[in-house]
Amino acid sequence: MSTTQQLSFTARYSLVFSAAIYLAAALLLPWVGAGAISVSRVLRHQEPDYEILLQLRLSRTLLALIAGGALSLAGTLFQAMLRDALATPYTLGISTGASLGAVTVIALGWETFFGIPMTWIGALIGAFVVLVIVIGGAFRQRQISAFGLLLTGMAINSICAAFILILSGFAGLARSFSIARWLIGSIDATSYFSLAVLAIVVSLVGAMILSQARNWNLLAVGERWAASRGVRVGTMLAQGYVLGSILMAGAIALTGPIGFVELIVPHVVRSRISSDHRILLPCAFLLGGALLALCDTIGRIVIPPAELPAGAVLALIGGPYLVWIIRQRTPAEEI
Amino acid sequence: MSRLLEVEDVSFAYGSQSVLHSVSFCAGEGEFLALLGTNGSGKSTLLDIVSGFRKAEAGAVVISGRSQHDWKRRELARQVSHLPQSIHANLPFTAEQLVGMGRYPHTDSWFESEEDHRYIRAAMERTSCWPYRHRSFHSLSGGERQRVLVAACLAQNASVLLLDEPSTFLDIEQQLHCFSVLREEARSGKLCVAATHDLNLALTYCTRLLILANGVIAYDIRTADAQDNQNWLGLFSKRLEIGTTQAGSAWVWYQ
Repeated sequence: MSTTQQLSFTARYSLVFSAAIYLAAALLLPWVGAGAISVSRVLRHQEPDYEILLQLRLSRTLLALIAGGALSLAGTLFQAMLRDALATPYTLGISTGASLGAVTVIALGWETFFGIPMTWIGALIGAFVVLVIVIGGAFRQRQISAFGLLLTGMAINSICAAFILILSGFAGLARSFSIARWLIGSIDATSYFSLAVLAIVVSLVGAMILSQARNWNLLAVGERWAASRGVRVGTMLAQGYVLGSILMAGAIALTGPIGFVELIVPHVVRSRISSDHRILLPCAFLLGGALLALCDTIGRIVIPPAELPAGAVLALIGGPYLVWIIRQRTPAEEI
Repeated sequence: MSRLLEVEDVSFAYGSQSVLHSVSFCAGEGEFLALLGTNGSGKSTLLDIVSGFRKAEAGAVVISGRSQHDWKRRELARQVSHLPQSIHANLPFTAEQLVGMGRYPHTDSWFESEEDHRYIRAAMERTSCWPYRHRSFHSLSGGERQRVLVAACLAQNASVLLLDEPSTFLDIEQQLHCFSVLREEARSGKLCVAATHDLNLALTYCTRLLILANGVIAYDIRTADAQDNQNWLGLFSKRLEIGTTQAGSAWVWYQ
């Protein structure tokens, strides 16, 4: 088998495998929950089985599949741009900025405005304000310094986290509880209108990111490397940070700040399937969505009738995994 | 000999620190230029400017008769390839994937074609890194990595090759091999510019020496004339002398 055939075989096999898992998650997981659902009753549109499946479990599963994919895709993108397997939009403070925006909206009691969820708007504004500050802070000599981004991001992260605590403290008991609940990160049943908007945004942004897959490969090696192979580095990085932030803010607005999916999934795909972003990006999206949907399902069956938030389940799996990744890194890699 | 590269009055500063001041030179096909100078003399900055990674504060760069600004980025990448001085070692890519990136400017298809793979294989065989093509870059030794990076520049098949210390980490046999491959490239009608600290490699393989000092080109001499005026050696160290080998070529001795 020639190298070209081998490459396309690996790509096709990996994509089919990831798509099959994604599809299986979409078809099977809505049926799993604290209470059993009868297939025959659903097919006959009988309540409550039909209602539970369609209005609760299916929308939750779809939200997890889309949001998990978006978070995983954003993580893969940021890791390529910052050339660090531990980098995520959380590292740069963008996720905390989005959370601050959403928390501000909740604290002010503006959760919907003419039917539009204001947490979306708040999260988007928060993410972009932080993005502008972080990039502005890292801009030197007409270039963006990756090291500067990380340091500025850490500082902004702390500032945003402090504002979230302050807002939570002054929001009153009921709103403070809503903020705390939102900050855990969870997948709740949501309207199909919200899901459709998220799906359209994620599809468009995801397609734009995927269409530049070869350029992310080049940027993952280095900026000089990319520049001398045809990439407009400044434009590409600006585009990457904006697109990644849209994905992150869009997902977080509906789920709250769910971490680790953007860290674990790209790492597993990179080590087990391929580091080539032409394969890595679609596989990370598909497997990221499937993982979050699975964590949400585990969360609703592990201690019925209570539910564990998907963010908590993922953190319980992701935390030890993160420690394991750090232990696997050689001293040279930590420089 | 047609001109492939013209650098006209290029100046550059990092903040208030001036690095290059009105640097000018031109070079054509078939030439192999050694860019010499002490640490911090601006060799890497000059290569960054010629490759288009940095913008000169003043002056112009002309590639194949056309101003650098008039080339589209991908078109420029088909004309100029650049081997940076340092590449992050912790790369998740295999050796072959990295070399394959040299073909990106040449194709719009999602994956590399059979023709691209022929270029990739030929480049990797020339730098003796084909046998470990499936290994991860981070698992390779420093010298093996350097051979992969040089192969990536060769696979790009550009007319101007800019190489920042291409023999770094290579053992002596591989240093000689690397410079002989670059000389072959120059002889096939390309222009190679290699920043190096190894004066003997430069004297043995290059056709011309460009010596940067205090932000300007202090000397621009043909290698064949290097022994005639030996003042340039003093820019590097007072402990150097130039002599002749039994084969008749110039050789720098260290006291």
